[in-house]
Amino acid sequence: MRTLTDFRQRIIEYLEAVTGGAVEIKSLQPLAGGASRDTWLIHMRAQEVDERLVLRRDLPTSIMDSALERDQEFAVMSAAYAGGVRVPQPRWFCSEPRILGEPFLIYNYIEGVSIGAEVVSLPELAEARRRLPEQMGEQLARIHRMNPALFDFLPRPRPGYSPAQEAVLQTRAVLIRLGIHNPVLAFGLRWIERHLPEGGEVVFLHGDFRVGNFIVSEEGLSGIVDWEFSRLGDPCEELAWPCLRDWRYGSGHLRLGGIGQREPFIRAYERASGRRINRKVVDFWEILGNLRWAVTALAQANRHLALGETSVELASLGRRSAEMQLEMLRLIAEQEV
Amino acid sequence: MYDRPTLSELLDAVRAHLEENIVPLLKDDRKLYYQTLVAVNVLRIAGRELTMNALHLQDEWARLNFLQNSALSIPADDDEARAALAERSRRLCEDIAAGSYDQHPRKAALFEHLLATAVEQLQVANPRFLQILALEDSERERRR
Repeated sequence: MRTLTDFRQRIIEYLEAVTGGAVEIKSLQPLAGGASRDTWLIHMRAQEVDERLVLRRDLPTSIMDSALERDQEFAVMSAAYAGGVRVPQPRWFCSEPRILGEPFLIYNYIEGVSIGAEVVSLPELAEARRRLPEQMGEQLARIHRMNPALFDFLPRPRPGYSPAQEAVLQTRAVLIRLGIHNPVLAFGLRWIERHLPEGGEVVFLHGDFRVGNFIVSEEGLSGIVDWEFSRLGDPCEELAWPCLRDWRYGSGHLRLGGIGQREPFIRAYERASGRRINRKVVDFWEILGNLRWAVTALAQANRHLALGETSVELASLGRRSAEMQLEMLRLIAEQEV
Repeated sequence: MYDRPTLSELLDAVRAHLEENIVPLLKDDRKLYYQTLVAVNVLRIAGRELTMNALHLQDEWARLNFLQNSALSIPADDDEARAALAERSRRLCEDIAAGSYDQHPRKAALFEHLLATAVEQLQVANPRFLQILALEDSERERRR
């Protein structure tokens, strides 16, 4: 894409093709997104109706391991929408590289706040924060009810391995690939291996269910976004993930995403899903979650160091890994007492 | 001997320039604004590393000696010391994976070493993170 005008013009042409009429773009703004995606808010007028849409496309060099392709993300979001999950309504998916250079998907914009630091602190969201733990539990139960058989492309534990064993294999493989010999991570991996939970169910997972990927309005949870890490795994893994310290955005004393406590969230999940949740297994997954995020941060830095993606943001993640390492050690110490 | 500014002072000059002159110009470009704030923070990390690096190197070496009941002396040259420390850490990783530290009291001794290592990393990378944890801990103690 040579210029923003060019980019804008191509989006207009695409929207005219899919809506079958004249389209005016009233504004086009970049949205704060992750390190691997390019996200835009489009305010369009078509057939005398104003609509606000979100466009997400891959960045050319940023294909993450195990992330879904845009068409797969579109299929997952569509199924979630059909299943009554609070997710922005997906509208179009385009794989034609001639339009914007990379595949992209478009979904309806939902009004609200998604930036984690704002969700945990804005005074006008105080009531929303009170409601969020239960809403998160209910929504997560719906997500875990999605039929995994619909998505043969989703990553899953290899046959004969539990989700936790699979996570151990993957984590070790990344450390070997990056040539990292960090005793804290080696100890974490050893601890995890020696405390693997028995068996466990395998269900559909959102894959990155946490504050920061929720659109929050004054009524609470209005939209769940970022489905690119969907996969199959243990339900307890996804009860632990939103509790990681890094997703508390400075409100560390509130274990559930800096907005509330863990227990009301798990109880709401149990009511809505009919499952009985062993808290000790959730604790285990919080430790494993910190280990994985610590290793992923190093892998992100490696994209800058060795894979030709010059980025101070990616580079800096390498030095953030220690935050998750220390948190992991502290959580292990709590278990050992 | 080099003339002043020192390396720390040079880094800090660039950091101040970005923070005071560039960041305010970028308020309308959220991505660039954020990335430049990250760059400012990276320069702070580099500055802290310059002042703490030598001390942390010595500390970690001494802790490994204590943990492994050895009296190895640290190479005088900084680069050699770093390489030797990396080699000792690599072997420690192998020992951990082989189960050599599964049982008390070795496990507890290892844990103390790892905790100190993570804390030292954060004294460079994010001292505020440590302050917030300490505050939270004392708050929790107080409520007990």
